[in-house]
Amino acid sequence: MKPIRSYIVAALCLLVLLLLVCGCGSEHRFIKGTSFKGENQIVITFAGPVDAGWAKSTGNYKVYEKPDPDINLSISSIDLSPDGTTVTLTFGLPLNQAQTHIVTVKEIMAEGKTQGTAVMTVKKVYFGYLLSILLGAMIIKNFVFTKYLGLCVFFGTSQKKSTAVGMGITFTLVMVASAMMSWFMYQFILKPMRLDFLQIVIFIGLVSLSVQAVDTVLRKVNPALFKAFGVYLVLVIANCIILAVPLLLANNEYNAAESFMLALGAGVGFLIALFLMSAVRERLEVADVPQTYKGLPIAFITAGLFALAFMGFSGMSIF
Amino acid sequence: MDSELLHMALIALAVLGCIGLLFGIGLAMAAQKFAVKVNPKVEEVLEALAGAQ
Repeated sequence: MKPIRSYIVAALCLLVLLLLVCGCGSEHRFIKGTSFKGENQIVITFAGPVDAGWAKSTGNYKVYEKPDPDINLSISSIDLSPDGTTVTLTFGLPLNQAQTHIVTVKEIMAEGKTQGTAVMTVKKVYFGYLLSILLGAMIIKNFVFTKYLGLCVFFGTSQKKSTAVGMGITFTLVMVASAMMSWFMYQFILKPMRLDFLQIVIFIGLVSLSVQAVDTVLRKVNPALFKAFGVYLVLVIANCIILAVPLLLANNEYNAAESFMLALGAGVGFLIALFLMSAVRERLEVADVPQTYKGLPIAFITAGLFALAFMGFSGMSIF
Repeated sequence: MDSELLHMALIALAVLGCIGLLFGIGLAMAAQKFAVKVNPKVEEVLEALAGAQ
């Protein structure tokens, strides 16, 4: 009986995720799809043949990067395929394909009739993009080793492997919960009411809310782990990573799936950092360290070496 | 004072007040549901100690 129920729950979760991902693209009924091609091209595929005179005019297209709606990219040439269904826009400069681009196609003319204006988003392959956000936050731009955020909790709880893993998991849970709440709050309450100047205050409130909730629940459910965290669970409130993620989400205008991936990546990245650090520090306990370096000083040096090693990932891009 | 600014501040106050009230009630209910019995003597002893650290 039990396995069946867990399958149903898993299927429901998958369905919700799928809906989240599918609901992201905005489609127009006459446009089949848009995609990047090569370094400086965007391909628009129409459902039927469009008029050559309309398609060749540069004034009918407006392309910009999502964060900068004021800067229109200049189109150097337009090619129409022989059957009239595919338009290739070539730009003078290479496109920054890590950014989402918005393409506005004005008054599409097909066989003499107008099909209305379409606003399309162009992104890289979606699951690959999500994965690159996840891995980016986890390893390439690890918050601890490349941005030096959250060091207080990092040094405080990395003395023992068991505490480190427990802390990492709790941190990930709190991070995902508070980041999703912040995303919802920012997109649906703060932005429509033009209260986004209050974002820092509200994000801090949401973080402390989720920490308080975890504190209350954990005290009852797992008292041993609660005792092991001690003061550090409350310190999560003052952790910079947990505040940095909602601010990043708000700045980059991420959607739900992307926000989830960034929060998960940041949490798991912190878990990895804690685990690596605790593994080394357990060995350092028995190593013959000079008296002056015992304890925190050698821990800081170790963290520096880890940061150097993580620099090897910098600038890498996946997909 | 600019009436538009005042209007904005009032909206902010109302919205944040509502959100705060909602979450406060939620937390209070969670605290009741997951209440842990603490020995009252623990607090008494803590009170009696000097409590500098």
